[in-house]
Amino acid sequence: MAPLNSLSKEYPLIDSNFQTFCASHAIYSVEDFLLHDLDALFASAANHSNSERLKQGIHQLLLIVDALHPPVLNGLQLIEDAKRNKHVFSTGCEGIDALLGGGLRVGQLTELVGPSSSGKTQVCLMSSSTVAKNKCSVIYLDTGNSFSPQRIAYFVGQSSDYVSVNQADHRLLQNILDRIICYPVFDVYQMFDLLHQLKINLRSQVFIDIVKSDHQVQVLIVDSISSLITPILRGNGPQGHALMISSGFLLKQLAHEHNIAVLVTNHVVGGDDGNPKPALGESWKSVPHVRLLLSRDCRSNVSNISIIKHPAMASGRSATSTRLFV
Amino acid sequence: MEIGMLPISASKRGKLLAAGYTTLHSILRTSTTHLVRDIEVSESEALEILNFATRSNDLDKSSGSNTNVIDGGQTAWDMLNEERFSSLITTSCLDLDNILGGGINCKEVTEIGGVPGIGKTQIGIQLAVNVQIPLDYGGLGGKAIYIDTEGSFMVERVLQIAEACIEDMSEYSHHFHKDNQAFGVKMHPNSILENIFYFRVCSYTEQIALVNYLDKFVTEHKDVKIIIIDSVTFHFRQDFDDMALRTRLLGEMSLKLMKLAKNLSLAVVMLNQVTTKHIEGSFQLTLALGDSWSHSCTNRIILYWNGDERHAYIDKSPSLKSASAPYSVTSRGIRNSTSSSKRIKMV
Repeated sequence: MAPLNSLSKEYPLIDSNFQTFCASHAIYSVEDFLLHDLDALFASAANHSNSERLKQGIHQLLLIVDALHPPVLNGLQLIEDAKRNKHVFSTGCEGIDALLGGGLRVGQLTELVGPSSSGKTQVCLMSSSTVAKNKCSVIYLDTGNSFSPQRIAYFVGQSSDYVSVNQADHRLLQNILDRIICYPVFDVYQMFDLLHQLKINLRSQVFIDIVKSDHQVQVLIVDSISSLITPILRGNGPQGHALMISSGFLLKQLAHEHNIAVLVTNHVVGGDDGNPKPALGESWKSVPHVRLLLSRDCRSNVSNISIIKHPAMASGRSATSTRLFV
Repeated sequence: MEIGMLPISASKRGKLLAAGYTTLHSILRTSTTHLVRDIEVSESEALEILNFATRSNDLDKSSGSNTNVIDGGQTAWDMLNEERFSSLITTSCLDLDNILGGGINCKEVTEIGGVPGIGKTQIGIQLAVNVQIPLDYGGLGGKAIYIDTEGSFMVERVLQIAEACIEDMSEYSHHFHKDNQAFGVKMHPNSILENIFYFRVCSYTEQIALVNYLDKFVTEHKDVKIIIIDSVTFHFRQDFDDMALRTRLLGEMSLKLMKLAKNLSLAVVMLNQVTTKHIEGSFQLTLALGDSWSHSCTNRIILYWNGDERHAYIDKSPSLKSASAPYSVTSRGIRNSTSSSKRIKMV
């Protein structure tokens, strides 16, 4: 945490006298200040020569700390917020919707785990097409060049009454596909840049009252986040681990504050007993709100989806779907 | 934005935090001399840190203008229209091209794996020749990079396949442009050989260094349209002590290859070997390099023997159906299989 002398430029109350006073109590940084007994500090300040100024300095520090945490909400406010803002987006696949309790929930981070070619990208593409058809926009971060607009157009055409490709349908397809924006991302820092830019864009939109529902991002998909994080994990030092956790926090913050449903995909690795387990380790387990496991029956078109973790559904519940590989 | 998200090394980050620079604003307020004094780095390193910080701050500032679209993305509609003109590299086997939707796609990373002797290197050489088919004949008119890790690249064979390709092209032009003499094939097998850039790597560090260098190489040789790595597994299999290191290195290499394919619009083809894996009580053949590597390609094709015939099976693809097709390896290269009962199986 920051040493106190770095605050001296912005806050003239925290001058060298104050710092010497704090140093006499072994307080050199904001962390030491927070850990110290404040009553004792106030009492000791009262005994000093310029006690008023010292007390103002302590108050100043407390004010700075108070300004940095998000607002405190009570249960009633949370339920109001949930009813008004936290909608559910269907993924287009009934089996998965049933397991998710309706679909992808705004404000939650949903994770799809599965071995290679088990259908994770297909679920992402299908969800994009369904969400875009319902007039909401999607941001798709693609790390493996797997974003296929043809496949999305196929899903759009499949689940509606488009039979012939005439002019009106063409326009409709264009409107739908225009709501999905794909960003190729090959680097975890690139992903952070993009998410920060998104956060700033969304924050500035809150102040401008021209929030058209068409332009506001409602769904964010990262396919796949594990390929961005695996190269930096367990390397020299805990930096990779820290980046993984902060990316999880950033995604959840975006989801909650800006009413977005976030979907990420993860792969599996071999576990100790030979059974495959999700990649990214133990700490990542608690980051997503919902975790689903996908698998595909040997060379058939049936996919099995089961719940690993869900805040409201029993884990182990499963469903099948035949729509993903057709 | 936090300091943790700047792309600087962990030790520099630690020094910045210890000196009190916890937010971006605090870095932007100082100058290089102060940074040099406070965290004891050289002038150039301090300048680099300031540049990163300014760039991140500029991202914050640029929110004044129309903020609906962040830079770098494309809508799905634009990508769909672009795909209609996308380039495909034929494999010279019609059945195989059919299940691939026309051929190997540029802007994608394709992994081809199979047992030894099934024809992986042959397919690699055929693609290196076919990418050079001129635009008039429906090809890309591009050059190829062939990265050889095993030493299985035989120049005589490449010459053989190149000659066969030119003969096929002249037969085609003779067939379709009988009256027009100007369509005579102007290619010579030597020019085909000249347009294949060959790299031989002998260790995994050389392989990683080469992948890092490819970006610069392809920017200088803009006609390169395909990179073939034969095989990507070889140097990572034997005697690799630290498995965690291997996963990290492979993950990073695959991201770099993905970036090359996307940004420079070329096809990357990786040839892989097989290994046995214990799944559900039985031993099955799967591609080598583990579970994490299986996610590092866009498409995956598995080659296998079906009786006496060679078959190719699409194991992973975002948009192609799972299907298998027979092919054969002849003296002229990869061609259609000539068995009488051949048909494409949709799985």
